[in-house]
Amino acid sequence: MKIAIPHSLLYYYYFPLWDTFFKELGFEVVDTGPTTKDILDKGSKAAVADICAPIKIFTGHVIEGLKVADYVFVPRFARIKKPEYFCPKFMGLPDIIEGTVEESKGRVISPIINEKNNENISSPKIYEMLTEMFGFSHREIRLAIKRAEEVFERFKALLHSGLSCDKALESYKTGRWEKDLEKVKKDGDVTIAVLGYVYDVYDSFISMDVIKKLEALDVNIKTFEMVPQKVAYDNLKHYRKRLFWTFSNRVLGAGLHYLKDPEVDGIIHVTAFGCGPDAIVGRFLQYESDVAGKPFTTLRVDEHTGEGHMVTRIEAFVDMLKRKKWAKLSEVL
Amino acid sequence: MKVSFPYMGSAIVYKKLFEFLEHEVIMPPKPTQRTMDLGVKYSPEFACIPLKMVMGTYLEAIEKGAKVLVTSGGHGPCRAGFYGDTHRNILKSLGYDDVELIIFDAPQDNWRAFFRNVQKIRNGVPWHKVINRMYTLYRFVQKLDELEKMVQKIRPYEVNKGQTTQVWNQIQEKFDKIKTRKQLYRVYEECKQMLLSIPTRKVDEKDRIRVGIVGEIYVVMESSINFGIEEILGNLGVEVERSLYLFEWINDNLVPWILRPKRFKEIIKKGQRYIKILIGGHAVETVGHIIDFKERGFDGIVHLMPFACLPELVTQSLIPKISKEVDIPILSLPIDEQTGKANMLTRIEAFIDLLRNRKRGKTKEVFIDNIQEHVQEERVVMV
Repeated sequence: MKIAIPHSLLYYYYFPLWDTFFKELGFEVVDTGPTTKDILDKGSKAAVADICAPIKIFTGHVIEGLKVADYVFVPRFARIKKPEYFCPKFMGLPDIIEGTVEESKGRVISPIINEKNNENISSPKIYEMLTEMFGFSHREIRLAIKRAEEVFERFKALLHSGLSCDKALESYKTGRWEKDLEKVKKDGDVTIAVLGYVYDVYDSFISMDVIKKLEALDVNIKTFEMVPQKVAYDNLKHYRKRLFWTFSNRVLGAGLHYLKDPEVDGIIHVTAFGCGPDAIVGRFLQYESDVAGKPFTTLRVDEHTGEGHMVTRIEAFVDMLKRKKWAKLSEVL
Repeated sequence: MKVSFPYMGSAIVYKKLFEFLEHEVIMPPKPTQRTMDLGVKYSPEFACIPLKMVMGTYLEAIEKGAKVLVTSGGHGPCRAGFYGDTHRNILKSLGYDDVELIIFDAPQDNWRAFFRNVQKIRNGVPWHKVINRMYTLYRFVQKLDELEKMVQKIRPYEVNKGQTTQVWNQIQEKFDKIKTRKQLYRVYEECKQMLLSIPTRKVDEKDRIRVGIVGEIYVVMESSINFGIEEILGNLGVEVERSLYLFEWINDNLVPWILRPKRFKEIIKKGQRYIKILIGGHAVETVGHIIDFKERGFDGIVHLMPFACLPELVTQSLIPKISKEVDIPILSLPIDEQTGKANMLTRIEAFIDLLRNRKRGKTKEVFIDNIQEHVQEERVVMV
C-alpha cells in the first residue's frame, strides 16, 4: 500500500516521525517533494480564493499525492498542548480537503491529534483509527509509534543544537545524523533570527528560500525550532494570556528570546498573506522589537509575490545591519 | 462609571444591561464610515473587520466621554478571543491610560477573573436586584427578537415601501424606555399590534422566497457592517431569517449546559456532518444552520464572513460541496473595509433572481409578477 505524505505544512517538523511510523507498519511512503509552480497552481485552483497560501499549497500536494499513492495523509491537528489549539484551518483541514479535492473521497487518512501535552504526537491512541481501516493490531501500532518517537527525539536534538529544519530533515533522509552538526556555520558577518512557521520558512515557494539567500549574503541564521519549548514559554510569562495557537506562542517566545540574545542583530518575520494568527503575533513582535531596539522587518508573501522584490528587501535589510554593526565596531576602535 | 460597549445587533439591550446596573451609559454612535476609518487606521492590517470596527467604536465612545469599555473575550482558537487584549494594547499606545477595558472571558477559563469582572460591573447593586433585573433583561431580549423576526416576515410584503422599517424604529424607541417587566409585556403587545396592522399584499406560497443568513456572529448581527442586508433582502421581496439572534445566543452560550435548548445541540450535530470537530468561531453552527434552513424549506442561503476569517474559511471551502449535496444555492460574501455596497447589491440581486427562477422552474407554473391585489386585511401568517 502506498501512502503520500504532502510535503507541506507540518511536514517540515513531523516527517521523520510519520515516515518511520508508516514504514514500520509496512506502508510505502511517498514524499510529494518540494513545492513546484505546478503544485501551487493546482492548489490555488482547487482552494477557496481568500485562504492563505500554505493551505493552497497543501491542497496542491494532496492532489499530486493522490495521483501516485492509494492514500494521502491529512492529520487533523486540534492541539498538542493544553489549553492551546492550532489555527482553525488546521483543525478543519481534512474537511477542507474533502470539500475541495473531489478525488480524495475515502482516500484520506486523518487521525485526530488532540493531546493535552505531547509535542511528539506519539500516543498510540491517535493512530488507532488505522486498526479499523487496515486491520493492524494495537501492538503493531504501539511498537511502530514507539520506534518513530525515538527517531523524532533524535531529530529534535539536532534542531536544538542549531541545525535548521531543512538541514535536519536532510540529515534524517541521508542517515548522516550528528555528522551534519559540523556544518553549522558560525563565521558570518551578522546574525539574523528568521521567525515564522516551518511551512512558511522552509517552503521554497512561500519564502523563496530566504534562508539560502541570506546565507549567500554571509548571514548566520537562527530559527524558532532551535529554541527549546520551555525556553520559548518562559519568555511569554509576562503576558496576561497566552495566544491560542501553539506554534504562534513558540514563534513569539523564540522572538523574545532572540531579542535578548546579544548575538542576534536583527529579526525577519516570514508570514503568509491572510495568516490570522500572524496578524497578532506580528504586531507583538514589532512592538517588542521597538522596545528592545533591534531592527525588525516582515516578509509577507502570497502566491503572486515576485522574487526580485524579495531579494531587494532582504539585501537592503542585511546591508543596513552590516553598516550598523560596522559603525558600532569602528566606534569601539 | 461612564460605561460604553461595542455594537453588535440591537445595542439597546446592552444599554439596558448597564442601566439596570445603575451605570451612567455612554451610548456609542451607530458605526459609520468614520468609525471604520478610525478603526482601520489604528488596527493591525490583517486583523478581521470586527476588530477594526470595534476599535473605531471604542475611539468614538471615548470621544463621547466613556471611561470603561465592556466587551466579551473568547476561548476558542478563533482570534477574536484575543481581540480584547489587542484593543487594550492599541488604546495604551494611543495614550488612553485612564480608560479601562473589561474583558469577559469564558468563566470556565478563569473563574476568579470572571467574578472580579462581575463584581466590577455589578456596581454595588444588591444581588437580589441584579438577579431580578437580569431576568427582566432576558425576557426583554426574547421579546425584542420575536418582534424582529416578525419584521423580517412582514417587510417583503408591505404595501407602503419603508413602513415596516419605520415601525421597527418606533418599536426600538419604545423598548428603550422600558423599566420593569410589567411594562415590557404591555409594550410588547402594543408593538405586536403595530406590526400586524401594517398593510401587506397577498403572495402565493410558490412565489415566496425565503433566505437564511448564516456566518460569523458580528457580520451577521451588525447591520452597519453588512450594509443592512436584511433590509436589502426584505425590500427585494424576500423573507429572511438569521442563524443568530441575541436571545438564542444567550441560551446557547450563557445558560448552563443542561438547561440549553435541544435545538442548539441538534444544529451542532447537523454541522458535524461536514466539519467533524468544533473549530472555533461559528463554523460548525454555520454548516448546521445551512442544513437546517434547507430542511425547513428555505430557498437560499446568504453566508456572511469577515475577509480572511479563520473558521469561516473552512466553511467557505465546503460550500460548493454542501450546496450540491444538500441542494440549496448559497451566496458567500466576504466583507472587509474594501467591500463596496454597489458590488454587494448587484450580487445579491443576481442571487435572488436565480432563486426566483429556480423556484419557478421547480413548481413548473407560469410566474405572474408581483401584480397581486392589495388586500388590506390580509396578514402574513406567523410561524
